[in-house]
Amino acid sequence: MIETLLTPLQYEYMLKAIFVSAVIGGVCAFLSCFITLKGWSLMGDALSHSVVPGVAVAYYAGWPFAAGAFVTGLLAAVGMGFVKTKTRLREDAVIGVVFTAFFALGLLLISLYPSQVDLRSIVFGNILGISNPDIVQVLIISGVTLVVLGFKWRDLLLFCFDPNQARALGLNTTVLHFTLLTLLSATAVAALQTVGACLVVAMLVTPGATAYLLTDRFGKMIGIATSMGVGTSIVGAYASYFFDGSTGGCIVTLQSALFVAALVFAPKHGLIGQRARRRAAALGAGATEVPS
Amino acid sequence: MNPLSTEMSVRVSDVTVSYPNGNVALRAASFALEGGAICALVGVNGSGKSTLFKAIMGLLKPAAGTVTIAGRSVKAALKENLVAYVPQSEEVDWSFPVSVWDVVLMGRYGYMNFMRTPRAEDRRIAEESLARVGMLDFRERQIGELSGGQRKRVFLARALAQRGRVILLDEPFTGVDVNTETAIIALLRELRAAGHIILVSTHNLGSVPEFCDHVVLINRTVLAAGPIAEVFTEENLQRTFGGVLRHFRFDESTVQNHDGRAVTLLTDDERPLVFGKGGHVEYSKRAEHAEILKKRTESEGDD
Repeated sequence: MIETLLTPLQYEYMLKAIFVSAVIGGVCAFLSCFITLKGWSLMGDALSHSVVPGVAVAYYAGWPFAAGAFVTGLLAAVGMGFVKTKTRLREDAVIGVVFTAFFALGLLLISLYPSQVDLRSIVFGNILGISNPDIVQVLIISGVTLVVLGFKWRDLLLFCFDPNQARALGLNTTVLHFTLLTLLSATAVAALQTVGACLVVAMLVTPGATAYLLTDRFGKMIGIATSMGVGTSIVGAYASYFFDGSTGGCIVTLQSALFVAALVFAPKHGLIGQRARRRAAALGAGATEVPS
Repeated sequence: MNPLSTEMSVRVSDVTVSYPNGNVALRAASFALEGGAICALVGVNGSGKSTLFKAIMGLLKPAAGTVTIAGRSVKAALKENLVAYVPQSEEVDWSFPVSVWDVVLMGRYGYMNFMRTPRAEDRRIAEESLARVGMLDFRERQIGELSGGQRKRVFLARALAQRGRVILLDEPFTGVDVNTETAIIALLRELRAAGHIILVSTHNLGSVPEFCDHVVLINRTVLAAGPIAEVFTEENLQRTFGGVLRHFRFDESTVQNHDGRAVTLLTDDERPLVFGKGGHVEYSKRAEHAEILKKRTESEGDD
């Protein structure tokens, strides 16, 4: 029994996959706290799809995939900002139009030169087959992201909470805006490796959303989200060996399960807790109305 | 120059602000204030009140004209933490996972290092500010767990912690209980005595003469600005509000002689609700309620 459970750990590719997933899961989860509070979840989805043409081009040109992805991710973000300020379209329409344009271009490029890149590994992720140079890129992205968040989380938190106050304090909100956007594209690229373009948004939203249901303190929120990101990534990657299923699918399914659990059982903001409080409030109100 | 020792002033000269779609929100607006002062910015929704606010806070760049604070550009004034801001309640996400203490410390960011680690000095000032608005006991509460008045006081404490010398308050009395309103007004008066300039954006006319000494009347531009006694006149308010402000003219109303002058007037900032001496509702148009008048005349033996 124990021997069976330890089998995946005997393979180097499994160990690598578990390790890299854990790092990416943790970093994405950390960032997800800011993304959910800023209301940028849709933006995360958009950016994770917009990096695809960049990845494709980078592979042909022999650049690091992160560089290409990064360029198209930011191009998409700037494009969305531009279309939004110059037209009367609402933000959701702008995001929808721009990111699908980038994603479609990516699919087209990949299908035109199929031998260079594997479409499946971009769209669905291929952490089990991750190459060493790719691991290095992922680790660099994660390291830089952690350093920036570690130093600037208070500024970013204020930017999410009250951008006008940030401006009134003389902080450069444009820089903060692009910092957050850049971190978002960078981690989207890293997460692409693990879960693929389709599921990146889950890694960038679900842990933060789950933690938000469980606490009213930002510090705790980061703690909960990050442990959830690391935990689900380790367990998901490990478990995928036995199911012989998609690693990304495993990780995100686990995260979603935890989200549902939090939705139902969270002490204060969960469904059960809310119902109990409503009932208590109704009883309390009834009691005071009874004439003495 | 130490900003604490200099006279505070806000000068808005010929400021024009237009939005990207070409709408001119404010045209050639000018006024000037010297500290200490409590000044109301009064105008209907869409009059350019909040645009002017944003221009003073540096959130919007004027297409023409200049704003100077204590003789500095807005940008320089912001860097020196001279401008503090208390947002409208609707603009704040009250479910955001921050505590009262976190919010007040945010007022100190401008004084902290690169990582915004609070020093003992920052904590002391934050504590003192919370105590000054009577919210020290609530420091660990999440901001959504407070009443309307308490929420407002927390953000006021943030402005105090920032040591801003120009404080902008956006609709400070909306959703606030009477006690808090009195406490806030008392605090604003203390700040004025200390030489601060308080700018209050409001459409609640009744409260303006209560606590402001200056007023700026706005309708797409500054129509009039100056001391309340000179500027807050019926004629100027007519110009500011046009047909929007509602009148209750006693000679045209259902108020009759037997009511004497004893009517109860209840009003939010919309239509006033007027009750006669006997507690009956008075209508503003005498002509439309002839039958009521007749009945009341009969029963009272009035004229």
